[in-house]
Amino acid sequence: MKREKAAVLLFREDPRDEPHPEKMIELRGLAEAAGYRVLAEISQRRGRDRRFQLGRGKIAEAASFSPEKLIFNEPLSPGQIFNITKEFEVQAIDRFNLILEIFASRASTREAKLQVELARLSYEAPFVRTIESLKKLSERPGYRGSGSYDVSMYRDIKGRMAKIRAELKSVEETGERRRERRRELGFDLVALAGYTNAGKSTLFNRLAEECVTAKDQPFTTLSPTTRAVAAKDRRFLLTDTVGFIDDLPLFLIKAFRSTLAEIVEADLVLLVVDLSDPPEVLREKLASCHQTLWDCSCYAPIVSVLNKVDRISPEDAQERCEMIRDLAPSPVFISAREGHGLADLLDMIDEKLPALEEFKVLLPSSEEGMGQLSRLYEVAEPIEVKYGKEIEVLLRGRREIVARALKGAERPERSPLAKG
Amino acid sequence: MDVVAVDISGRHSVGGRYIMVSASVAAKISPEGIERTKRIRLVPRVAESVEMEVVIGLIEDSVRGLSGVVLAEKGDLYNLERWRVESILGREFKYPESRGERRAMELAHHASFAGRKLVLRLMEEGLGGGSLKAGGA
Repeated sequence: MKREKAAVLLFREDPRDEPHPEKMIELRGLAEAAGYRVLAEISQRRGRDRRFQLGRGKIAEAASFSPEKLIFNEPLSPGQIFNITKEFEVQAIDRFNLILEIFASRASTREAKLQVELARLSYEAPFVRTIESLKKLSERPGYRGSGSYDVSMYRDIKGRMAKIRAELKSVEETGERRRERRRELGFDLVALAGYTNAGKSTLFNRLAEECVTAKDQPFTTLSPTTRAVAAKDRRFLLTDTVGFIDDLPLFLIKAFRSTLAEIVEADLVLLVVDLSDPPEVLREKLASCHQTLWDCSCYAPIVSVLNKVDRISPEDAQERCEMIRDLAPSPVFISAREGHGLADLLDMIDEKLPALEEFKVLLPSSEEGMGQLSRLYEVAEPIEVKYGKEIEVLLRGRREIVARALKGAERPERSPLAKG
Repeated sequence: MDVVAVDISGRHSVGGRYIMVSASVAAKISPEGIERTKRIRLVPRVAESVEMEVVIGLIEDSVRGLSGVVLAEKGDLYNLERWRVESILGREFKYPESRGERRAMELAHHASFAGRKLVLRLMEEGLGGGSLKAGGA
């Protein structure tokens, strides 16, 4: 039987900042998602301690619970980890490390495993270097003691990182080719993005009539899943992606670049928001999503999906929507669990996706013309086809895709009935 | 939303003084990006220090007469809380959050950087140094 791990959570509040009790709740959620039993939560309002992050007394208090690990909300420097482990004989990790633990336990695909390993190595490399140099302080040269063994460990990590990066690059290129192929087939790409545990997978299951794992816990989804969805008179591909979290370190964003590419390359991003969060938390989470989208250079239009409206009153929902107006473009109220507001969401998706145009195409009445007509059927929606001396096709689709399907044929003419 | 994004370039000492250029971009933005750029203003300044009063003075000169919420990077204002900056500036202020606000800041950053390069070139050629206002402590 798997033994439950025990941990004490430690949280430092800056004396200049407002108290943020929700951050401790988030840390507890993360710890539980990583499989820890939380023995105690200890917080201290003070400036950063250079040696231990918190005061020595608070660390001693936490260590008195005999936990396996002390989990700090604030980032720990390599020196601080070294000091805490040495002085209190208990392992100390910070929030980023905790997130990495969750990722490592959930990674199921080869790509996700590589990404997690790259993130872990990027995080650990400077620690290894510092700890090596700290250990060397008391080290004496031994047999042929030149210290080359220590140096090689850091070098090994760097080598492994380069190898993983190369492997992930090929995964990225495969993804790029796949997206290109999907575009050629006339699909619009829509990606779900948002803070972790906002309900992205539940919404994905609703829209795509799928059953991917959706749980009330952070980071349930790590690898992207894509399914076709038909909305009104057009079809698009919807991708469920990994959730964002506050203060996501850049190395983690870089490691998950191939997954986040699904968002970056999308024609439309559905930014899912948990509207039942307290107003100030809601704002912070949204700001952190914008930050992540900016960091991964995503410039696609956004539809703000205000989820979980069934948990609050309509007045509260309206008030919160007003409060986040500057962060939530094109808002739509939904409840993914109950299935409310999905029709409005599909209407909004249809409105925000690149407009479809109507074209009249003349094809030769030959074998080649029939081949082109068959390709047009795949990528666009034919409205009317007249067979005569020539094949006259009236169709609706995206200009560049119709043009690509007709490569080598007559350029499509805009129909007089064309809209947009 | 109307914003004025401000960025200061040259907050490092060159020969014991700070040759700075503040760029302010008055724009109408949406949460997703910039809808319309209304005006870009560059204010050059040579100072002996980059203390808070100097920075605030430069930002005040830079945004004077431009309407909208003032935006600036946290580092430019020494990570002061929003309410403190608002009370010093005496007008609505915020740190960038949305993608549109960040885009406006990026534009201001490019403008201030290019403006400073121009100022340095003019100073090198001995053309514009006299018109720079000396300020600060």
